Amino acid sequence: MHYNSVIEEKLAVSTSIIACVFDGGVALGADSRTSSGVFITNRVADKLTKITDNIYCCRSGSAADTQAISDIVSYHLAFQKAETGEEPSVATAAAVFQELCYNHREQLTAGIIVAGYDKVKGGQVYNIPLGGMCVEKKCAMGGAGSTYVYGYMDSNFKENMTEQEVKKFILHLLALAMSRDGSSGGVVNICIIDGQGPPRKEFYIGDQIPKYGI
Amino acid sequence: MAGVLATERTLPGFSFENCKRNSTLLQQGFKPPTAQKTGTTIVGIVYRDGVILGADTRATEGSTVADKNCSKIHFLADNIYCCGAGTAADTEMTTMTIMSQLELHRLNTGRPVRVSTAKQLLKQLLFRYQGHIGAALVVGGVDVTGPLLYSIHPHGSSECLPFTTMGSGSLAAMTVLESSWKPDLTEEEGKVIVRNAIAAGIFNDLGSGSNVDVCIIRKGSVDYIRPFDIANLKGQKQNNYRFRRGTTGVLSTRIIPLVTESEEIKKTEVESMDTSA
Amino acid sequence: MAMPRSYGGLSDYRTVPAPSFSPYSENGGSVVAVAGDDFAIIASDTRLSTGFQIYTRNQSKLFKLSDKTILGSTGCWCDVLSLTRLVQTRIKMYQYDHNKVMSTPAVAQMLSVLLYYKRFFPYYVANILAGIDDNGKGVVYSYDPIGHHESSKFRAGGTAGALLQPLLDNQLGMLNQENVQDKTYTLEKAHAIVKDVFISAAERDIFTGDRISINIITKDGIREDSFELRKD
Repeated sequence: MHYNSVIEEKLAVSTSIIACVFDGGVALGADSRTSSGVFITNRVADKLTKITDNIYCCRSGSAADTQAISDIVSYHLAFQKAETGEEPSVATAAAVFQELCYNHREQLTAGIIVAGYDKVKGGQVYNIPLGGMCVEKKCAMGGAGSTYVYGYMDSNFKENMTEQEVKKFILHLLALAMSRDGSSGGVVNICIIDGQGPPRKEFYIGDQIPKYGI
Repeated sequence: MAGVLATERTLPGFSFENCKRNSTLLQQGFKPPTAQKTGTTIVGIVYRDGVILGADTRATEGSTVADKNCSKIHFLADNIYCCGAGTAADTEMTTMTIMSQLELHRLNTGRPVRVSTAKQLLKQLLFRYQGHIGAALVVGGVDVTGPLLYSIHPHGSSECLPFTTMGSGSLAAMTVLESSWKPDLTEEEGKVIVRNAIAAGIFNDLGSGSNVDVCIIRKGSVDYIRPFDIANLKGQKQNNYRFRRGTTGVLSTRIIPLVTESEEIKKTEVESMDTSA
Repeated sequence: MAMPRSYGGLSDYRTVPAPSFSPYSENGGSVVAVAGDDFAIIASDTRLSTGFQIYTRNQSKLFKLSDKTILGSTGCWCDVLSLTRLVQTRIKMYQYDHNKVMSTPAVAQMLSVLLYYKRFFPYYVANILAGIDDNGKGVVYSYDPIGHHESSKFRAGGTAGALLQPLLDNQLGMLNQENVQDKTYTLEKAHAIVKDVFISAAERDIFTGDRISINIITKDGIREDSFELRKD
């Protein structure tokens, strides 16, 4: 290990992130590891970042880039809300994210999943991977750990799951990803947004995370 | 038009006028001078009534110790301090810039600044320069929301944590914090943990050394203790190294007589005139 | 050797620079040797490190070659080990062939040859050889990594060599001083100065510290001494 990797290497949110729609809203999930080279700089990171009251995003890639983008998008949506008096739609949030990610795609290392609830279309998930494209999905994953669990997602994801079912699905999916991927780990964060009151954030720790294999 | 010696007032911000020349020189194999990197151990913890920041006091230039007792805990506001690791000049100048912005913000708003404001200003500045400003910071303070601690990386990412470390000694220091930090520490317990964490960096990381500085920030008061602990005593010399008179050779002597000029000024009192009628 | 590192978290369409392999490492440490009329002192610090990490605080860099000769060796530690093992073997072979212990000047000459043998893939080491010659007089030889060597009265090498040598020049060689009456030094004075120059070097060189191990060679044999340095 290079002795200065701790301070010189760019901080990477090396991640397993997921967001999907369920009956009544959207659910977001993420692990909690942030590392710089081989050093875990934060083992309890919160990668589910608030954009507006009912829109959150999952961040992967460079910590600095994704935090800066999230701050800028929050600012624009708050500004729009102040001007129009209406809650911004999830599609608008995704469009602003995509605009920034696409226009600065050469400078940025950011893979973002935008998810939220609005009155027009209910729960929605938009995936904005590295190059800055934007695609709406029922279930989207991102980060290095996600490559290990595409099969699990394909075989276990169903539309119109209940809140309990979707939480279980995300918890098991992230547990599998974290157990295989060295750059993912820590606790499991889950956020439920259904328009019924403020989003509910939960985290699962230690024995609450299912164990697979040996 | 400015003269030859007194140059024009510079524009605000950095000067990039030598960038093109420097990249040409670089291509021709020129080795640029290196900046002083503070191979450092800095830590911060939250305790029951506030935050405690700690730092070592060694600054290095390659493998030599450039400063044996430098100060790495910087003032940001009356209620906020900041530890710096990385490029020495960058940590000093960024904290000074943000310090002035925070003071203006305080005067504009008429209330003590928040720690998150300091964090946001710092991370936005660092993000703007895309990691070229090599400052890794631990910002701690107490505001209206209570004690807060942030770590900020050179590329402009930040995180809010109950305990954190930075610098080349951060791995050594983190081992201490991970094993002994717990919620609701007393001030005395907190100080011991911070000292031990910095000492772990001082002894196990060659980039860190000398003394332990500590800064305790409570609601309404700050204790900046420097040095908090002298982790290493300098060795006692066996011999006396005072040179005898005459050790330095006198090559030539020239006596220039001192001409003194004196001027005497006498004050003469104005004669008072009797004006009484 | 380290595995290629990836920026985990994203598909790797950004190129990851492959780490280049280097056969050498710098493990730090310093050696000082002083020759007197009837003695030689050689001392090394005991810190072994790589980058900003300490491997051990307790590794002397002095190698006893005979009752009259000691080699101080720092630099790439694996090269130090290979070289000293080779030297020790060759000294044994000499002894069995000629039925006598190799003299210090002979060891000095042989070391130079062994180093130059690897002229184009050198041992990455700074060597200082100290001992007493056949007449009982103290001698010190210093080397560059490929076999150049010279004899001197006192010499410093290793990571703090440039910090230590001027102090020796001034305090033992009495250089840059006017009106010096006595240019000789006793074993006691040399011993104290060796400790003091290491105290100073440990203040400013991050690779030198922890402890010094001192060996004093006289006609009566080798005496060992140890002295604590700062540990940061």
